[in-house]
Amino acid sequence: MVESKHKWKAWLYLAPAIILLLIFTVWPIINTLHMSVQEGFNQAQANIGVTFDYGFGNFQNVIEYDYFKDCLFNTILLCVLTVPISTILALVIAVCLNSIGPLSRFLQTIYFLPYVTNSIAIGMVFAAMFNMVGNNFGNENELVITAGIINNVIEFFGGDPINWINAGSSYWANITVMVVYIVWNALPFKILILLGGLQSVNKQYYDAAKVDGTSRFRVFSKITVPLLSPMIAYVVITGFIGGFKEYSSIVGIFGEKMGPTGDARRLNTMVGFIYDAIDTQQGRASAAALILFGIIFVVTLINLAVSKKKTHY
Amino acid sequence: MKLRKILISVLLVVAMLSSMLMLFSCNKNKLAPDFVMPEKGFDTSKKVTITFYHTMGSNLRDVLDAYIVEFNKLYPNIVIEHEQVGNYDDVRKTISTEITVGNQPNIAYCYPDHVALYNMSQAVQTLDSLIDADKTVKDALGNETVIGLTQAQKDDFIKGYYEEGMQFGDGKMYTLPLSKSTEVLYYNKTFFEANNLQVPKTWDELEALCAKIKTIDPDCIPLGYDSESNWFITMCEQLGSKYTTATGENNFLFNNQTNRDFVAKFRDWYKKGYVTTQEISGGYTSELFTMAASEKGNSYMSIGSSAGATHQRPEKVSGAYPFDVGIATIPQMNADNPKVISQGPSLCIFKKADPQEVLASWLFVKYLTTTVEFQAEFSMVSGYVPVIKSVKDHPVYADFLEKADGGDRIAALSAKVCLEQEHAYYTSPAFNGSSVARDQVGYLIQTCLVADWKDAEVADKIKSEFAKAVKECNYQIGK
Amino acid sequence: MSDKLNVTLHEKDLKKVSAAQKVTKAASKTLTYAFLFLIAIIVLFPFYWMIISSLKSLDEYKLSVPTLFPREILWHNYVEAFDAANLGTLFKNTVIVGVVSTLLSLVITVLSAFAFARLEFKGKNALFAALLGTMMIPGELFTITNYQTVNEFGWMDTYTVLIVPFLVSIFYIYLLRQNFLQIPNELYLAAKVDGTSDIKYLWKVMIPLALPTLISITILKMMGAWNSYMWPNLVTKSAEMELITNGLRNAYTDASGDTNFPVQMAAVAIVSAPLFLVFLFLRKYIMKGVSRSGIKG
Repeated sequence: MVESKHKWKAWLYLAPAIILLLIFTVWPIINTLHMSVQEGFNQAQANIGVTFDYGFGNFQNVIEYDYFKDCLFNTILLCVLTVPISTILALVIAVCLNSIGPLSRFLQTIYFLPYVTNSIAIGMVFAAMFNMVGNNFGNENELVITAGIINNVIEFFGGDPINWINAGSSYWANITVMVVYIVWNALPFKILILLGGLQSVNKQYYDAAKVDGTSRFRVFSKITVPLLSPMIAYVVITGFIGGFKEYSSIVGIFGEKMGPTGDARRLNTMVGFIYDAIDTQQGRASAAALILFGIIFVVTLINLAVSKKKTHY
Repeated sequence: MKLRKILISVLLVVAMLSSMLMLFSCNKNKLAPDFVMPEKGFDTSKKVTITFYHTMGSNLRDVLDAYIVEFNKLYPNIVIEHEQVGNYDDVRKTISTEITVGNQPNIAYCYPDHVALYNMSQAVQTLDSLIDADKTVKDALGNETVIGLTQAQKDDFIKGYYEEGMQFGDGKMYTLPLSKSTEVLYYNKTFFEANNLQVPKTWDELEALCAKIKTIDPDCIPLGYDSESNWFITMCEQLGSKYTTATGENNFLFNNQTNRDFVAKFRDWYKKGYVTTQEISGGYTSELFTMAASEKGNSYMSIGSSAGATHQRPEKVSGAYPFDVGIATIPQMNADNPKVISQGPSLCIFKKADPQEVLASWLFVKYLTTTVEFQAEFSMVSGYVPVIKSVKDHPVYADFLEKADGGDRIAALSAKVCLEQEHAYYTSPAFNGSSVARDQVGYLIQTCLVADWKDAEVADKIKSEFAKAVKECNYQIGK
Repeated sequence: MSDKLNVTLHEKDLKKVSAAQKVTKAASKTLTYAFLFLIAIIVLFPFYWMIISSLKSLDEYKLSVPTLFPREILWHNYVEAFDAANLGTLFKNTVIVGVVSTLLSLVITVLSAFAFARLEFKGKNALFAALLGTMMIPGELFTITNYQTVNEFGWMDTYTVLIVPFLVSIFYIYLLRQNFLQIPNELYLAAKVDGTSDIKYLWKVMIPLALPTLISITILKMMGAWNSYMWPNLVTKSAEMELITNGLRNAYTDASGDTNFPVQMAAVAIVSAPLFLVFLFLRKYIMKGVSRSGIKG
């Protein structure tokens, strides 16, 4: 093999990355591990010389807590819903963009715009769009004072306003809003990557398909998707990783209480669970982070294994 | 297998690296010593630089800058570097990280919860030895003053605010108040007068009043209470029931019959459409209050921060306010023994190795909290109220209060009402976990008010929600 | 040549397609445009929101059912956002940190991605999987440890502390590796036979082929440098070292310490504008892609 001679070279190329990673990523992970196995560890007391017993109490503490399972469920649910939806939507948009001539550039630019806006600001916009102001939602005394734009649109088409995010709203209404927001948020990056990939696909494949009179759907499924498979794998894998770290989007809509009024923290996620503990309970936060790490690690390995089988380089 | 070999070598590298790094960051005690008064007191010849973290907007920073100039006329050797570190949460996060390497500032804006957090590292300087310091210092104008607080200065502080510095369970003084606010009742004066309604002094009067307003305007929500947490904690204070304690095994005492009863009562009010809160209505309750009476769902009373008075004023319609705003104290359980919450920033000083830095910080904190001109100007710009009584006699501030009204000068009116009830201020204990309790009781109000429960099961459901909240509090502090 | 002839023949056939098919084609085109414009409107809305919010008064901004257009346009918010900060120093620092960290980051990313994509070495896959794994830990958990580390290194309040800790991004390495993998190995083997060095091959073949990805990375990294504020806020203290977001944040709060959101929005708009311009300028490079690459030729 040609490559075997260059083993040392590979490590040379990797050296800068590895050194930096060792210091700024691996060491913090080790420190995290170290904190996670000290029962009840907190940094503030460690500073003044308090020591903590070694053990797995932090892990036990996290896993045995009922609320942890809710957070895990929410995280997985949001992941499973948003990653496929956003990927497919981005793919369709990218293919459409690629198929049109005029205005294509203009639209590309617009699709990228959200990427340069502040995510907190966008979250507040979405919350305002779904918001309802009033009292006693769902009871006989219900009093809707004003409803957000989404409900105005629903009413315009003759529907009944839906309580999306306010007191007394249903879990699935909340999840719907979250899915819309997360997908919306994920689109610009995915479109950018997939469109970049599409434009690098050799036109000859399409010309050949045209010659054969292949149907558009067949072209899409037999040529576009396979050729784009590395890009799709990329957006799916990073989508899952990002999805498991979902947190700020929920804060954007529901605020730090992570749920609608009357059921605070209903939508909390794994990262939210970690953040709850990060200020004062670093041992427990570390344990929860390592559990999350383990879960994502397994999911990513599965993803990589699948994409290895399905991607066509 | 090759893979195993590689994994082993990776692990070895990691182990080496970790042991190496652990060496250099191992258990260094970052604790600065407690302050001890130097033999010669404050050294006015040596330059000292003091850092001060706060959340002041640009208009307040201008006020601060002007008074730093004044302060430097007294102590030219003290350089004050102040920085606005985002909001209160940012200040807390930044400082708690900085404490881990001993980089914390000298002075910071603080809430009691923050101090409880910093105290886990014993990073906050207790002020008792400084307050009582009888050594004197000669300033650049030639005046010789005592370093500590004189009895007159101590007495000038509004008692409730001053005692807030001692709510940490050990009887020691950790903070001095800078500026304060409380909750007040805003009411639609025009509507009250037109319908011959009395401003409620007690919660019973309020309940009757809500029923009456509902008959006048069935499409309204008579009262909006902005902060659910404040509502719960204030009720505990007024009823004399338990909330939390900074000492002992069990910090969270709010799960008791008295508290469950008042929550059940508020649930009843909510179901009748008497009341709403910020979280329940989906917006600030001041919005409901400032709506036109003809609109559906407006309110005629609103309980909110006295520092937010301008938000409680309706927009002008063709040059005039559509109604007059009245401001009163919030309803009480016992009108003879009123209790209202005390809010707003205090100042804390951090321990430093150099006692001169601590002394310089103290002199500046003392200057800000006891200088009448600064307190007056700061209060007028911020909407908060001063923490010392003598400001009321300051001509400019007295004039500010004098011209108070429910329209253009509404901020002055709320300050006036706020000052009238200085005897009624209470504070709750601050400890590691007090902010968790605050959040949890806020959620309790929200949940118990809006939940769709059958009448027969309400008592049991409330009981279980309270138990859940206490459990959550304990979990969050690591128990 | 004969291929081309074939194509033209077929195209002649295709021209004979029925009018019905033409209608279908036009309809599908219209549908495509309608779909894309709908998406564009949805995408644009929050951006529009940012602009109008930046022109509102704080009171108007806080209305829970917001106004779609400011009652009174307050350009003053922009003046306030500008005034509060020492823009010269802020821009200079941000540009230095942004450019240097982007360049260094690109070098590191290209070398690493090349090693992962082209070279065979023991433990490649395990190492790569482990690296991907590190992306999964919430970054805030690292802050405490990293803060202690840079303090030990004595890097506080320098450009180094703003640049070095975040140079390596597994995201970018992954992205570029995927791109490199698309380039046929035959090109590399041929280059090896010709005696071309790795670096030359990288420079002459891989980088031009992966240019769109590299530019995407550049933009992302620049944007990261431009938008970051938690870390810079923690590790810089002096005014001379502040970055743009830290500086502009001073404008964000009003008298009572509440965030003045309209002014914040104005600041965000000011901060976003250069990024937007950079994107506009570089977009065509991104989109041109590999179409003019060496694979064809």
